[in-house]
Amino acid sequence: MLKIENLKKNYGNLEALKNINLDIEEGEFFGLLGPNGAGKTTLMNIIIGFLNSDSGKIIFNDKIISNHVNSSKKDIGYVPQEISLYQELSAEQNLKIFGKLFDLSGNFLKQKIDEVLDLVELKERKKDSVKDFSGGMKRRLNIAASLLHNPKLILCDEPTVGVDPQSRNAIFDLLLQLNSEGKTVIYTTHYMEEAERLCDRLAVIDHGEIRAIGNLTSLINLIDVKDKLRIIKNSDTEKFISDLKSFGEIYENENHYEVIPNKDYSKLSKLFTDLEKIGFPEEFVAIKKASLEDVFLNLTGRSLRD
Amino acid sequence: MKTILILIYKDILRFLKDKPSVILTFVVPAVLIMIFGNIFSGGSSSRGKIPILFVNDSDSPIAEMIETKLDSSENLRLVKSYFDEDQQKEITYDEKYAKEIVVKGNYSAALILPYDFFTDTSTAIKFRILYDPKNEIETSLIQGSLQQMVMSQLPRAFPLLLQRKLIAELDTVEINKFRKGLAEAVSTTFDVNIDSVLSSMDPKRLEQNFLSDAKSDDSSSEEGNIIKGLIKFENEQVVGEEIKSPGVTRTVGGWAVMFLLFSIVGASISLFEEKQEGSLKRLLCSPVSRTQILWSKYIYTMLLGFFQLSVMFLFAWFVFDVDIFTNLGNLIIMIIFASAAAVSFGMIITAHTKSINQANGIATLIILIMSALGGSWFPIIFLPEWMQFIAKFTITYWSVEGFLQVLWRNASFTEILYHIGALGLMAVLANWYAIIKFKRGNIF
Repeated sequence: MLKIENLKKNYGNLEALKNINLDIEEGEFFGLLGPNGAGKTTLMNIIIGFLNSDSGKIIFNDKIISNHVNSSKKDIGYVPQEISLYQELSAEQNLKIFGKLFDLSGNFLKQKIDEVLDLVELKERKKDSVKDFSGGMKRRLNIAASLLHNPKLILCDEPTVGVDPQSRNAIFDLLLQLNSEGKTVIYTTHYMEEAERLCDRLAVIDHGEIRAIGNLTSLINLIDVKDKLRIIKNSDTEKFISDLKSFGEIYENENHYEVIPNKDYSKLSKLFTDLEKIGFPEEFVAIKKASLEDVFLNLTGRSLRD
Repeated sequence: MKTILILIYKDILRFLKDKPSVILTFVVPAVLIMIFGNIFSGGSSSRGKIPILFVNDSDSPIAEMIETKLDSSENLRLVKSYFDEDQQKEITYDEKYAKEIVVKGNYSAALILPYDFFTDTSTAIKFRILYDPKNEIETSLIQGSLQQMVMSQLPRAFPLLLQRKLIAELDTVEINKFRKGLAEAVSTTFDVNIDSVLSSMDPKRLEQNFLSDAKSDDSSSEEGNIIKGLIKFENEQVVGEEIKSPGVTRTVGGWAVMFLLFSIVGASISLFEEKQEGSLKRLLCSPVSRTQILWSKYIYTMLLGFFQLSVMFLFAWFVFDVDIFTNLGNLIIMIIFASAAAVSFGMIITAHTKSINQANGIATLIILIMSALGGSWFPIIFLPEWMQFIAKFTITYWSVEGFLQVLWRNASFTEILYHIGALGLMAVLANWYAIIKFKRGNIF
């Protein structure tokens, strides 16, 4: 559905995007995971035609976007990071304006407005000014405004920034519902939990480069990250630290130790047996499953929140 | 105390980072003080001379002396001639043409020394002032300067004028008898030679004495008061006599244009708000081009300007009975062109600045300066000539003058062509520049 080939974008001397290649299938929930400044928003802006790339091309529904900007826009719904609404207008007035820009009018537009407001559970508040909405309600309306013209592809640029957990869950449910109805979703985030929960497939992006693409399992397998042991730091465990060095690499944190098992312990059950042998108090040990955080750390050498 | 100092330091730091506030705090007052200082400090070195037309139809040496004195006036600049269409021949103004020019609004007044300036013995000395009170202060200044000049120079003519008055009332034989009797009385009382007394009363000698005394340039206010009745100023208002609310008619355009600029700039820089709140980005994600967004903003602010000016003039009509309907067509044309120029100014400010705060600061600075220079607050005649020259590059000047032409002088379309031409040119150039800046700028 969307194919990005050799895309490059520079801001002066800064290489914002370096030779990006992506192929996103119809109906996919695709995640772009990367820290702030990685190039996610730049890539989104180029896809929607807000920015021009320096080279490369984006093919959407077999058409090069730069040659068919307006017709492409009719099939793309963009949910910006900012609340892109007129605060002093009501929810209905906002949607009416944005709907009309997509050539919707009359009863059909009214019907669509009711439909999307219903979808984001704001139908009862349609006459209220946006400025009187809570942050979560604004976010939901922000999404609704992008759905009016029934786009095939929905681009979400960190749509849950600054949203409370309850509203965040409502947004997740909404996007998953849209995806289940056949919409393709591209979702940028720097929250691993979101990516893990929502996305079928992920691209890890950093410093304008795609470092890896795949589903969560394949990414973990790809870079050979392992589950770790997490040991609570206290007087009972501290005396075993020198013994633990033979089990793997030990990283000391403020309240706990992390042990990355060495090659002899490809199965953690063997490690637990050996710990038992040296009398280690097992009640202070937990398994930390390999996560996207580990994948990202491994790929980029830095944490997502750096 | 330390805490308070830290907090003060914080406020100073924030203030200095906010460049528009710094501009509004220091630069705007400094510029306005300079402009007002130039106006109110007085003297020809700071204020430009007011140009008036001057026609001398008299062959009297006294008229010539008056002309010489007026030539060196600190307040007035006499304009006596013009060049023909080929710019070859210099032609002296006559009264009829001078009146025509004042009626057209090119000059505020004309001073006429008529052919019977000194020969019409019924009034002793006669001046005629043709004036257009399109600007009350300017007119008062012109009349005041003329009267001051004449009054300060003519006291010495008192004996001469008195004799001429007597000659007009009595015949020459009776006058000679009166002179001889007066000379005898003076000679007997003060023991002086009767011939020298008679000689000093000779009209020709009196005239020569007057002219030579005038060069020494001393005067007496007492004499001035005595001769007031011997000089006649004929003031003729040649434009605007029928206007019901002259004061408001003269000033409504100036104030309207200033507020127009403020509201238009406010509307234009709303692009920044739309960018900040993200709605501009959403528009650009719709099938809408940047050009369409700019055009919509331009037309919207144009309409806003048109309605704002219309409401202001309607208000002036409703409350002050300003006649806006006699020349309604040309008034509408002026409103359209003034709005177009104001919108272009707003676009330039938006294209040239990087934030809403910066845009507000710079716009306020420029609008206040343009209003002061362009005639929104006071006639630009009070400004130094170099400032009057700069004023001609402002939207305010051409708008204020244009509205004055339409409302005060009931000017025809051809008579406001210069004004709408200047405003149109400014609008086109400013828009062209703004579009270039928008393409290179960061707002989109």
